Amino acid sequence: MSCLTNPTPPTVLDKSGSDLQWLLRTTESAMEGLVSAFQGLTGDTDTLVNHAAAIVKCVEDESVSSVLPSVQTLGIAAKKYVGERLEATNGILDTVTAEMELLRKLSAVTNGQTKIAERIQMLNVHTKIEIAHLGFVGAGFEYLARELGEFSTSLAENTGELDRNTEERKNAIVGTRQQFSVELPHLTEELARIEANLSDDLAVLDSGLSRLAQTPLQFRASAENIARQIAGVVVAVQGHDITRQQIEHVHEALATVSEIVLGVSNLKSPAHAEAARAHVGLAIQIEQLRAIRSTIADWTSQIRMCMEGILRISASELIGIGPLVLEQERLMSAQLSHIDLLEGQCKGYSERIRSSLEGISNLSHLVTEHLQKAESARNQLRLLTFNSVIEASRLGAKADTICVIADGIAEVAVEWSKIMEQSGSALREIVDLSKHVNAVMDTFSQTGTEKLRDAQERTRVGLESLRGAAAFAVAQGEKIYQATEIMRTKSGAIASAGDQLDTCFGRIDTVLADLEAVKRQLEIDHPGVKAQYDSAEVERLFSASYTTQTERDVLRAAIYGTTLSTAQSNSAGNDVELF
Amino acid sequence: MKRILTVDDSASVRQMVSFTLQKAGYEVAEAVDGRDGLGKAAGGKFDLIITDLNMPNVDGIQLISSVRKLPGYSFVPILMLSTESQAEKKDEGRKAGATGWIVKPFNAEQLVAVVQKLVK
Repeated sequence: MSCLTNPTPPTVLDKSGSDLQWLLRTTESAMEGLVSAFQGLTGDTDTLVNHAAAIVKCVEDESVSSVLPSVQTLGIAAKKYVGERLEATNGILDTVTAEMELLRKLSAVTNGQTKIAERIQMLNVHTKIEIAHLGFVGAGFEYLARELGEFSTSLAENTGELDRNTEERKNAIVGTRQQFSVELPHLTEELARIEANLSDDLAVLDSGLSRLAQTPLQFRASAENIARQIAGVVVAVQGHDITRQQIEHVHEALATVSEIVLGVSNLKSPAHAEAARAHVGLAIQIEQLRAIRSTIADWTSQIRMCMEGILRISASELIGIGPLVLEQERLMSAQLSHIDLLEGQCKGYSERIRSSLEGISNLSHLVTEHLQKAESARNQLRLLTFNSVIEASRLGAKADTICVIADGIAEVAVEWSKIMEQSGSALREIVDLSKHVNAVMDTFSQTGTEKLRDAQERTRVGLESLRGAAAFAVAQGEKIYQATEIMRTKSGAIASAGDQLDTCFGRIDTVLADLEAVKRQLEIDHPGVKAQYDSAEVERLFSASYTTQTERDVLRAAIYGTTLSTAQSNSAGNDVELF
Repeated sequence: MKRILTVDDSASVRQMVSFTLQKAGYEVAEAVDGRDGLGKAAGGKFDLIITDLNMPNVDGIQLISSVRKLPGYSFVPILMLSTESQAEKKDEGRKAGATGWIVKPFNAEQLVAVVQKLVK
């Protein structure tokens, strides 16, 4: 037998057995280290899951999901607030300009009235001269003269008062207009800027809040996935205990085969039956070792996948989210402050517009009063015209001058009516202007800002919660980062242990190659050796110590040529039976 | 805290069982083989024993038989945790006094569930 030359099959088999024993010894300590490392990783993963879950819980407890609707409501309220004030602001200058135009018209009215008062005064003087000239017959005109005098004085006083008020108002409105011309464009710009910033900040906050809500969930899912992989590895590592037993059984079986082979060589005869037993014994052990190799490859691959998962898990997204949301919260708080400032400014404008309204209201009151007096004056002028005409006709030819005076009074009455029309027109314009100013005032009024105030308050509360959640996320993120760093360090050690194990288990390939060589040699030395054995005897001989289902399946596949299930899962087992 | 004794000649399996059950809130003691397990059981009171079948010195079946004879251990649950799943072996374990049989590899959650069911 050529296989009995250097090295002999028993020697090869003994060496293979020794290799397997060395393998068991070497891998045992490495496996213990690996188990310890995975126990540590399980703890670390639990830490990650707990921290991520804490962030998720905090986000839920702080009702962060309600922050965005609050801020959105604020955005809508502020936009409406800003939009209305932008529109109203545009109308303020028009109102002031219209009031100035109106005041100019009122000035024209007072000028006309002043002239009328002067003409009546002139007519009064003429009447007095004519009374003196007429003597006794002119006594009937004394009443007319007195009336003209009193009327002229009253008219002058009224006109003077209206004129003074108009001038005062004019001066005031010029100042207001100048102030508004400078400030209103600034206010408009500020309003537009706040509106644009609010929209931008809202979009950013929306994205930040989504990340705050989603990222910890995603991270927790990743960590839980790692935990599941680690649990898989925990199961897989137990496979080592099974393979250890299997290797021990193969080692024992190889000793049996070695004895048979030694018997074959000692007989110095073909000994086909013995050789066949040795051959099938080797075939079984080769299959067992292949199954072991496959199992080992399976669980080492699980360990590698788990390690890759650990290396992939990144806390950077989660760590970044807290500061990002805090920054966004600061932006939103700044916007709230801006809105506060804006409200203050608008309140200032509201005060000025209110005083403007009061001025117009006073003016309206004054003109109304003036119109009533003018109405009374017109009646008085009509009466004076009537009286002067009667007196003039009673005197006949002597009253030519009085007739001229009467005509003058009639003319003044006509002019007075025109002035009254102008005053009436001015009053209508003042009323219209008052309405417009009222609308502007309403826009700037306190009641218009209630919704904004409410939205601001809700947003403030929401932002406070957000700040709490984000700060918590920052703190947790730091812990998560540290835990992931520790896991990475451990995974490095595990990868190194994995490589060491790979090298160790690589020895199985050498053993397999040696056994294959012995088997081939038996086939060469004993042709037809494959079919010359008693299956039942071989099964009894080798199955005694085989304890796992896989071992028994492999044994039967080798002896009887049955199909071996390829779906050997490491997570198999865990078959629980309570008696 | 309930006390559990795990007996296995494989250090890695002992570690796995200990870690899994400690995480679930149990106090776990370890023994390296049947003889060590019997000594520890005699020296202390355990609420549950989990033992491997094939071990040097004293195997799992012998351990169960011996433990059942110890005072206070007549009704203590004993689980066999083994790679073996043959009906004859299970029957042998049941006759020796085992409460249940779990085939390796075990799933941590299911091991805890079984232990919780037995240790109330």
